[in-house]
Amino acid sequence: MIPGRVVEIENLSFYYGAQRVLNNLSCGFAGHSICAVTGPSGSGKSTLLTTINRLWEEVDGARVEGVVKVLLDNMEIDLHESKIRLAQLRRKVGMVFQIPNPLPMSIYKNLTLPLRMAGIKNRDQQRQRVERVLQDAFLWPEVKMRLQSDARLLSGGQQQRLCIARAMILEPEILLLDEPTSSLDEGAVSEIENLLLNLKERCSLIMVSHDLEQVARIADSSVELVAGSLV
Amino acid sequence: MSRIYDFTLSLFAGVCGLLLIASVAVMLGFLVGQGGSVLGLKLIFGSTDFREIIDIILLRQVVINALWPALIGTFLLVFTALITALPLGLGVGVYLAEYAGKPAKVFFSLIFDLLAGVPSIVIGLFGFSVTIYLHSHFSDLMPCLLISGMSLALLVLPYLVRTTQSALEELPSALRVTSFALGAEKSSIILLVLLPQALPGIFSGIVLAIGRAAEDTAVIMLTGVVASAGIPRSIFDNYEALPFYIYHTASQFSNQHELQQGIGAALVLLIICTLLFTGAGLLRKKATHHFLYHSK
Repeated sequence: MIPGRVVEIENLSFYYGAQRVLNNLSCGFAGHSICAVTGPSGSGKSTLLTTINRLWEEVDGARVEGVVKVLLDNMEIDLHESKIRLAQLRRKVGMVFQIPNPLPMSIYKNLTLPLRMAGIKNRDQQRQRVERVLQDAFLWPEVKMRLQSDARLLSGGQQQRLCIARAMILEPEILLLDEPTSSLDEGAVSEIENLLLNLKERCSLIMVSHDLEQVARIADSSVELVAGSLV
Repeated sequence: MSRIYDFTLSLFAGVCGLLLIASVAVMLGFLVGQGGSVLGLKLIFGSTDFREIIDIILLRQVVINALWPALIGTFLLVFTALITALPLGLGVGVYLAEYAGKPAKVFFSLIFDLLAGVPSIVIGLFGFSVTIYLHSHFSDLMPCLLISGMSLALLVLPYLVRTTQSALEELPSALRVTSFALGAEKSSIILLVLLPQALPGIFSGIVLAIGRAAEDTAVIMLTGVVASAGIPRSIFDNYEALPFYIYHTASQFSNQHELQQGIGAALVLLIICTLLFTGAGLLRKKATHHFLYHSK
């Protein structure tokens, strides 16, 4: 792995059934920065993200060839060779989706769910972490009085900040973002961009975006995908 | 043209709804008309004396010729059946929805459809045969509350399995993907995300099961109900139950008053079912709130 990088991809090909989505692709992503993946719709950007947390394995008929290595806890892990448990990997490699996806439960339960699933059951610890990630996501003042209300009642921008907070609550080392602002209005977009810039200190961000102005505003580096290959 | 279709369809649907409501209303009206006058403490406890009633409730006095033992028997029966069937039904439902492959699903579905179609008298006979077998080989087990409860559990199991399975399968797949992305193991997704979301569906199965267990007569007739057994001292005892009381009265009444008592028992059974349904509904609300919104 090249020093400074946290993800290294070599000769990666990806198939949904017979259809090839990624075509012998090699690239790397640097640590503690925002790396953008750009390209037209259907070029395989989101698929590339799911190879880094192996979320593609939950899709029937998907198949992958090639090498994906990530640096976690300063250890290089070959995702297709090592015996790392999927749940363990995804706690270290968080993900935020294009459409905000709060679960149909309270704001508080949305945030404590990853903690409970990771075995962190201490209530005080849970409360502290919830407050901290909500502060980090600039959401605390808006929701501190309504933590028990349904998360789906928040505005789109608030929901997405909640999802980022939720993805950050287990302190991942890498955060994957799949067009995190494409469904939001302008005001919400700039709030999220500020939030992402702040997160750089704590983890490495890999963001799919087709908004080139956004990439120019916040990304430190970028790669462009066209039809499953790098340009 | 389409307006005529619209009108006809809505008229047809409305008439169907009205017919159904009317038939239920006629039945209720008949029951209330015939047996409403006997509804009261006397029907249930055989007495209106407050002190006597307390004694009866505290099991210090035996009731003769009243509904109290049958009422308690029905409660115990529903309780035993649910305690037995719930873990099994939930377990199989979760297995079919979340773990089973296609062939296993088809096979189990066939089995449970068959089980759902078995007449309750056959399930009663099965319970009876099992009791006889156990009695002659292992112990001095006789038909009793436990056997009846377990036979009824077999009767209601298909409802619980089906509703649990479909409640889980109908949940949007985004719930699973989101949870996987958050670092969840499959078991914790099922326990912390999917089952709480499926509670309304699961509870509708429980309500069906309660209704079925409370009203069935054929199963219990062969497995332990006795017309004047009193309140059972243990689950290995005979017991009374409301549907059997109704059946027994209807087939052997000797005067108008006895018939009225039977009809009164039918009303009491309906009231008890309503209470149990309401209880299940409240519990559902409480459980949903606890699992999805409460944060203490």
